Amino acid sequence: MATAAQIQKGYIDYVLTHYEQPKSVYSFAKKLKITEADFYSFYASFNSIEKNIWFELTSEAIHEIAQQEHWAQYTAREKVLSFFYSYVELLKSQRSFVIYSLKKHGHRSGTPEALLGAKAIFENFAEETINEGLESGELVERKFFSKRYKDALWIQFAFIVNFWIDDDSHDFEKTDEAIEKGIQVTFDLFQRSPIDNLFEYGKFLSQNSKFKERMRF
Amino acid sequence: MKAQESMPTTKVERSAKFVKTGFQIGGNYLKHYSKKLFNPALSREELNADNASDIYNSLSELKGSALKIAQMLSMDKNILPKAYVDKFTQSQYNAPPLSGPLIVRTFTKNFGKTPERIYDKFNIKSTHAASIGQVHEAMLNGKKLAVKIQYPGVGDSISSDLKLVKPFAFRLLGMSEKELNIYIKEVEERLLEETDYELEVRRSIQFAKACSQLSNVVFPTYYPELSGSRIITMDWIEGMHLKEFLQTKPSQELKNKIGQALWDFYNFQQHELRAVHADPHPGNFLITPNEKLGVIDFGCIKEMPDDFYEPFFSLTSTDLLEDKEATIQAFRQLEMILPNDSPAQVEFYYKAYKEMIGLFAKPYTTPTFDFSRAEFFTALYQYGEKIAKMPEFKQARGVKHFIYINRTNFGLYNILHELNATVRTDTFKPHIKLKASG
Repeated sequence: MATAAQIQKGYIDYVLTHYEQPKSVYSFAKKLKITEADFYSFYASFNSIEKNIWFELTSEAIHEIAQQEHWAQYTAREKVLSFFYSYVELLKSQRSFVIYSLKKHGHRSGTPEALLGAKAIFENFAEETINEGLESGELVERKFFSKRYKDALWIQFAFIVNFWIDDDSHDFEKTDEAIEKGIQVTFDLFQRSPIDNLFEYGKFLSQNSKFKERMRF
Repeated sequence: MKAQESMPTTKVERSAKFVKTGFQIGGNYLKHYSKKLFNPALSREELNADNASDIYNSLSELKGSALKIAQMLSMDKNILPKAYVDKFTQSQYNAPPLSGPLIVRTFTKNFGKTPERIYDKFNIKSTHAASIGQVHEAMLNGKKLAVKIQYPGVGDSISSDLKLVKPFAFRLLGMSEKELNIYIKEVEERLLEETDYELEVRRSIQFAKACSQLSNVVFPTYYPELSGSRIITMDWIEGMHLKEFLQTKPSQELKNKIGQALWDFYNFQQHELRAVHADPHPGNFLITPNEKLGVIDFGCIKEMPDDFYEPFFSLTSTDLLEDKEATIQAFRQLEMILPNDSPAQVEFYYKAYKEMIGLFAKPYTTPTFDFSRAEFFTALYQYGEKIAKMPEFKQARGVKHFIYINRTNFGLYNILHELNATVRTDTFKPHIKLKASG
């Protein structure tokens, strides 16, 4: 009886050797010397194998960082930075597959389908971390917008992974830079900023009736 | 060339100018990427042109007043390398401090261990910025250590930044790209060496050992086993930087002692080692509580080959300058006078460079020299100003070694001037193989 791990391994081996998906589940199962039923008891399709690999990598990174010293004292910003550094380190172990799975998507717009395997678990992590930051006052609560913070982090996720697959610098140093700069600026936007003060000042002015009369609003 | 619209006058305005350029370049990137969102085909060329023209505008506005001393050092042609050196080491890497997770990552990449596992104590908040990195405090076996961590990607950005400004540099100076290239390459080599921390550790140990006979100069101990390509661990040296030191109103005697230590440190290296710590930036020195000079950064070392050392220092330290033919001969060796120069040109450059060398060699001509003398520095500035206005100096002249040797020695003179120190200048004299004169 085959296991999920064996099927996954066989699949990665196949796509990296042929650089395309197997023609059919039938031919793939035959090659692995398992039955089609074995295959379907674990995976619904080839794409679901790919999504599952992404899911596992992401979940492993999230699990790993939580074991770090000082994790509890980290700010939300540092937690997210820490996630990405661990993540790109982990991705190294599957770099060929990662490149295959993202490049297959080509230059079409939208998120590569395989990445969707990582999306739910990453967003879950992002939302938790953001909520901690909102509670501690590190990040600022904004009507409508604070609900979208996790979307901004997901955009960073897709950007960083795509940056990493094209990174040819020594030891992927450029990716470290992309993470550091990108996450810092994203969190700067989540924090209280002059825009908030400007907005509040505008609100104050519009609520001030004398001012309104004079300006004939 | 577009006419200068305004010349920033005060110091504040000048630094504001650099800040503004920084903003503009940041803005250029934003503009680029927001355009690119809608039009992925947009090339980087447009961005590079935007950036380079902002740097160019800013540099040309600054020319004249702010870079006076640079012009002096450089006979105009080196302004740009000088501006590069300063801009791209100091201001460019005025980067925000690295985040805690990135520091941890740098350690795990270098040693496979987090800083807490390496040191007994490690302060994750940096104490100050170094030119291309930041410094942290750590403890190990009861010893206080300084740990220098380099920003990621510094090496790559040096090369790309230099490429970016190059075409504008030669247009600004009216020099051909080919002429300028040797200078830019020299600067690039030194800057890239600065990013090699393994090399820096090796050199620091080597120089500290070689200079151990100098009294009143101290070096930290370096720990190669706790250093790597992006990390340097060394002893923490307690002490004050020059500015703080001067605020304590030290006695003239003490100022002379520190000045003498500086003088000896540089001249020992130049004349005994033929390689010199080429970054006499006040931030690289500390004055320790027991009144010694601490030297803490060996990132930038300039080695002097014989074919530069011999002609140059025979000009400054022998009576060669009295002999016109021999002087011209030395100027030819140093490419200050070129083979195709007409007799009139030879005469012109002979006079101009003789004046420069005379100024440069002034401290060597007497056994002691008082660096507090304003006349000497006024003469330097005036000479720089004069040279800057001469169209003859729009051309590339002088071997590439001048960039760092001038920067080192005039930098040293400047620090000694700030200290108002009087020093004995005959402690370490140039060694010249005396040739039969004539």
